[in-house]
This record gives sequence, structure tokens and C-alpha cells, in this order.
Amino acid sequence: MNLFEKIFNYQILSRLEDSGAFMVTSHERTWLKTMLEHPAAADAFTADTLAKLHAALGQDQRMDTSLHLLERARSRQPQVYHPLLRPLRRYIMDKAGIRITYEVKNGRVYEEQSGLPFRLEYSMVKQEWYLLWYHTRHRALMSTRLKNIHAAAPEALDPAAADRMLSRLGTSLEARKREVCIEIVRSYNEELSRILYSFSSFEKQVEYDAENDTYRVRVTLNGDEMEYLLSKLRFLGKRVRVTEGDYLKRRMLESSAKALERYGASAREEDIPSSQHEAVSAAKIQ
Amino acid sequence: MAKESFDKEIQFLRMLVLTRGAFNRQQFAKRLGISVHTFDKTIRRLKEVAKALHPQLPQEQDRELTETLRFSSYDSADPLLLFLFRAKSVKESESQRISLLLAAMNEQALTARELLELCCSSLSSGLPLPDEKTIRSDLKYLEEVGVIIREPGPRPYRYRIQDDLVSSLTDDELIDLYDFVDVMANTQVPSVQGYLLRDGLKKRLLRKEAEPTAVEPFLYKYHYHSRILDEAHLFTLLQAIRCRRRVHFLYFSPKTEKSYASRNTNPLFERETEGKVHRTLPLKVVYDHQYGRWYLLSHGREGIRKYRMEGITQIEEDESVDEAWYEEKQSELAEKIKYSWLVDTGRPVTVRARFYNPEGQEPNFVRDRVLLQGQWGQITAEEEHSFIYEITVNGTTEIKPWLRSFGSSCEVLEPLKLRREMIAEWKEIHAYYESV
Repeated sequence: MNLFEKIFNYQILSRLEDSGAFMVTSHERTWLKTMLEHPAAADAFTADTLAKLHAALGQDQRMDTSLHLLERARSRQPQVYHPLLRPLRRYIMDKAGIRITYEVKNGRVYEEQSGLPFRLEYSMVKQEWYLLWYHTRHRALMSTRLKNIHAAAPEALDPAAADRMLSRLGTSLEARKREVCIEIVRSYNEELSRILYSFSSFEKQVEYDAENDTYRVRVTLNGDEMEYLLSKLRFLGKRVRVTEGDYLKRRMLESSAKALERYGASAREEDIPSSQHEAVSAAKIQ
Repeated sequence: MAKESFDKEIQFLRMLVLTRGAFNRQQFAKRLGISVHTFDKTIRRLKEVAKALHPQLPQEQDRELTETLRFSSYDSADPLLLFLFRAKSVKESESQRISLLLAAMNEQALTARELLELCCSSLSSGLPLPDEKTIRSDLKYLEEVGVIIREPGPRPYRYRIQDDLVSSLTDDELIDLYDFVDVMANTQVPSVQGYLLRDGLKKRLLRKEAEPTAVEPFLYKYHYHSRILDEAHLFTLLQAIRCRRRVHFLYFSPKTEKSYASRNTNPLFERETEGKVHRTLPLKVVYDHQYGRWYLLSHGREGIRKYRMEGITQIEEDESVDEAWYEEKQSELAEKIKYSWLVDTGRPVTVRARFYNPEGQEPNFVRDRVLLQGQWGQITAEEEHSFIYEITVNGTTEIKPWLRSFGSSCEVLEPLKLRREMIAEWKEIHAYYESV
């Protein structure tokens, strides 16, 4: 299978667009046939549609990639699809309002709240689906786990009101944006590629200071994404240092101080206190 | 014509995505090991492809390609790097002819002769008219890649576009299919074919539903955007594994500064390249979800070899090896990587760590994350405020960042060496921020 087929060429594709022809190669069908074996397929289609797809792909091969391809450090994937995806995506498409009953962290349930669904967001980290929606009464952007939604039904909404809400959402998303700056500690420049890979999932800009041979990464993110960035920073450890962003700096300081406390180590002393060895042997006995 | 290689474009785009904005033209070209002239040529070509595919993107002539490739997660879930796979060059006359043929076969099943007549009457003037042989070879190619199908029946054969996949579905079912392809391409590997299919389905949906809300209901956080570039080599390697063939390639370790060297066809101008030619027998391909990177595990003269996919260029297949010997190498590798957190084949050690539950909070996100990401490790003891996690891994290097990412919620108990390393690292990190 060659991914650089001339049939995928951009000129052929854009020329074909006007004709309304649907072009699909055996590469793509083979991929689809393989993916249909995933348990998620049962939640994604009605039994009828699934049968039609299997019939249409009857002559195609299956990929044997799973024999030769290993995935490592992968989270267990308890949820790829959720039964609410199908109805909710249709409300989003129709710009319909919703009446939603949902549960929050402490178990409290909010009944029949009105709002406008905006997007369905999959967290690759938590492996879970969230509904991003606009809460009409609170005039706020909400993010609710699909598994915490008890009920959601469409509700008539004036299209002009929907557009107003969407534009307010845009503004509030923009207002949430923060910029922080992370410097790659120079002695780790050799690991540049690895470090940049781990920031590649953020909206960012890289600066290179040729004089000092130093790289800085400017990350733009929403306030609620700070926790994820923090876990990345701790992941990279001493290779990187936050140079702009007081919140992140304070949290890194707290993290390191508290971690050292757990280890029974002082931040200043070079040697490990003897009490720590005791802690280890005590742990062994359990 | 030499086989078209996309190594340059792949290295180029990867560097663009990873180091966005860091270098000027000269610095960028130097790091890729190409001339500024080649740099400019490559960027022009890539811009042209990107523009043709994403006409909604900023169109200013002097706009940097980096700008074109900005990822704003709330605007679009489109994988912008996909355009790499649309870059195979095709002659103007050929692209006109093929799109014409496909459009014609979309409406009805036609014979080669009928298609020839149609081509002769509709191709723009100035282009050479095709003969029947050309049309037949086009049809053969299109049938091979599965885009068209030969209708049953006597000669002369009739061909039609193979679109049963969508033509049998209702509009509502088409939405379900689009969603499934979108979700799977974004959450599973390999993904490139899925993204290509998503592209086609998206156009189809937009044709029916004018609203863009129809095609972008989903967002995915957080993606490693460059991972799809490495899929370019994936199928070559999988094919080599399938056929038990050796391969050779020019390898640039990601730790060297230069990541591409131009292939000089004229031996008089051959330069020493910094990359090294490696000959090796591919055994497994590994995708690392932690960084979004791909590895090749293989058998070479020195035993098991590990390569980062991003360093592989100019890959070619060689001879096949004896099946029994190949099986032996496969099982040797399987044994060696049984306990690899990623790809480490070092000595197995048992790591024990105490994780602290968050105070007074439900749900317990520390425990949830350990269960979700802790691979084959086990929780061996639970107490009121903490629990013990135990795992056997090859070496501690690869698991260490993960343990550290929990901050003060994780205390390494064993091995003592790892515990000491953690303390030393936290001290250094503490020193970075002490003056805050």
C-alpha cells in the first residue's frame, strides 16, 4: 500500500469536485473495514447501516497492521464512542437548543437546563467525551462529561439567538487564552526533538536565540488547560523551565517542595537523610 | 524518471511544525542540509498544494507557510499536514484526463472507446489528445486502486465509478459514517487512509448540507500533529515485514542537528552526508502514545536495533531472509520487549511507587490516571490516603517521566537508585523556581 498514489493528487481532487463524483480507493475501504471490527462500530451505527457497510465492503481486504504494529504507553480505551454522540451531533448540526439534565463533580444534579450545544470534545488524555455547550441562563461556556449527562432533548431556539450565543462563545473562548513561555535548559538541547514533540499538541511558537543557543516555546492555551501543561512540564522535569507565567511557576515550586517533603528530603541538602532509608524498608514490609 | 521521494517534504514539514517560527530561511535550510534555493522551491510547492486544498485559508502571497499551518483547536479538526499525501506530482494532461474520466463514469458505465471519444471532445485545447492505449492504461490503474469497477457482462467491458460505499446509504446514514471515520482516524493508528476517506465524505456532506456545522461537530485534545507524517514510511516497513525482507536506509539520529541530506545524482558532486546507511531486517513497528512518535525495531549485525521513524530517509527494500531464521529473530525480540514501557530492552526491574489520593476529592483522579495509563502495572495495596503501584519494566528511563508527571502525588519506593534520582531531580526543579 503506497500512501503517495497519484490518485490522491490534489489537482485531480479539485478538478473532480465540480462533478459530484465520490472517489474512494481500496486503501480507504480496507482501512474502514478494519476499523469496523472495533467495538465502537456497534455504537456508531444502527444494525441496518452496519449491514449495508459490510455488504459494500464485501470484496475488500482487511489490514493486517495489528500483527506487526505495537502500541506502547497507550491508555486503556474504555470509551471511543458514547451513545449520546449521535443525537448530540445532530443538534449541533441543526443549531438546535437543548434541555439538559446533568450531574457535577460532587454528585449534585441540575435538572432541565436550557442551552446551545457547541462541540463534542474528545480528551485523548482522559479518553472521554465532553459536551461543550452554552448555558443560556448563566451565559457561560460549559464542559460536561457525556457520562454525567442524564438526559438531553432538543428544544426550539430562534436561529438569531443561536448565532448570538455562538458569537458570545467565540469571545469568551478568546478571552480565556493565556500565553506562557517555557525555556529549554541549554544543556538539554540535544533532546530538542523529544522536547518539542511533547509540546507539539499545543498552539505554540518557538523562538531561537542564536547568540545563546537557547530555545523558548511560547504556548497559547486556555486557562483550564494549565493542568495538562503542568503534567507535561513535570513529565519533562529539569529539561525545561517556565520563564513567563506566574501561575505555572508557583505550581512547579509547590510541586517540587511537596515532592521533596514526601521523600523526607530537604531542598537544600545534597545528601539523602537517613530517615528516608527507613521509609523505604518500611514500605518493603507491607 | 526516478521514483519520487517525499523525504525532503516530510522532514521539512516536521521541522516546520515542531520548531514553528524559530529559524530564518538560512538557519532552516542549514539544519535540513539543503540550499536556500531548494528551501524556497520546496516551500513554494507545498504552499501551492496547501492552497489548492484549503482555499479558505489566508491567501496572501507573502504569508508564511507556518501561518497557513496554524492549528487552532476550536476552528477545525482538519489534519492540515494531510496535504503531504496529496503532493504526488501528476502531469497537467494526466490530471485533466483522469478527473474527466472519473466524472464521466460517475454518471454511467462506459467502455474504453466511449471514454476515448469523450476525452477527445472535452479536453481543453492545447493538450495532447490521448489514444486508446492511454485510456486503457488509465482504466487499468483506476481499477487497481479500486476507484472504478468493471461491470459484469461480455466485451466490450464497461466501467463505472465504485461508490457503493456511499450510494447505498441514506443522507442520515452518511452522517453516521462520516462521524465514525472522523472518530477512528483521530483516535486510532494508522490514520492516514482514514483522514483521506474523511476528506471525501466531508465534501459529499457539504454538498448536501450547506452548514459547516454538519462536518465539524468534534474536537480532539490533544493531538500530536506530526504523527501522520511518519505514517509515510509505515506501509513500506509493514510490507517488508510481511515479506521478511531486509531494508536499507539513510538514518539521521534525531540527536544530530541535520535531518536531511540531498541525494546527489551526479557522483562527481557526491558529498559526505552526516547520515549513515543502515541495513537491517524490520521486525516490528511501535507507536509511542506518550510522545506521538514511531519506532522501527529490527535485527541488524549487532542484534536488536531501534530506530526512530523520523530519522529514516531514502528507504529501499532488499532481499528476503529465511523464514525459520526470521521467526527465531521475531521471538527473540518478543522476549526482549515483553517488559518495555516503550522500547527499552534493558534488564527488567520492579518499580514500586506510592501514589497519594487527592485530598477530599471525588472522583480520585490520581487513581483513575494510574489505572488508565499504568500499562500492565498493578495496584498491590490500598490504604486510606494512598495506594501502592507495582510494575516490572525494562530499565527505569522510560517510565520515569510518567512517574514524575504526577508531581508530589507519586513517591518512588523502589528501586532505591530511581528513588534517589527522583529526589535529585526534584531538588533541581525546586532550585529553578526558588526565587519566584
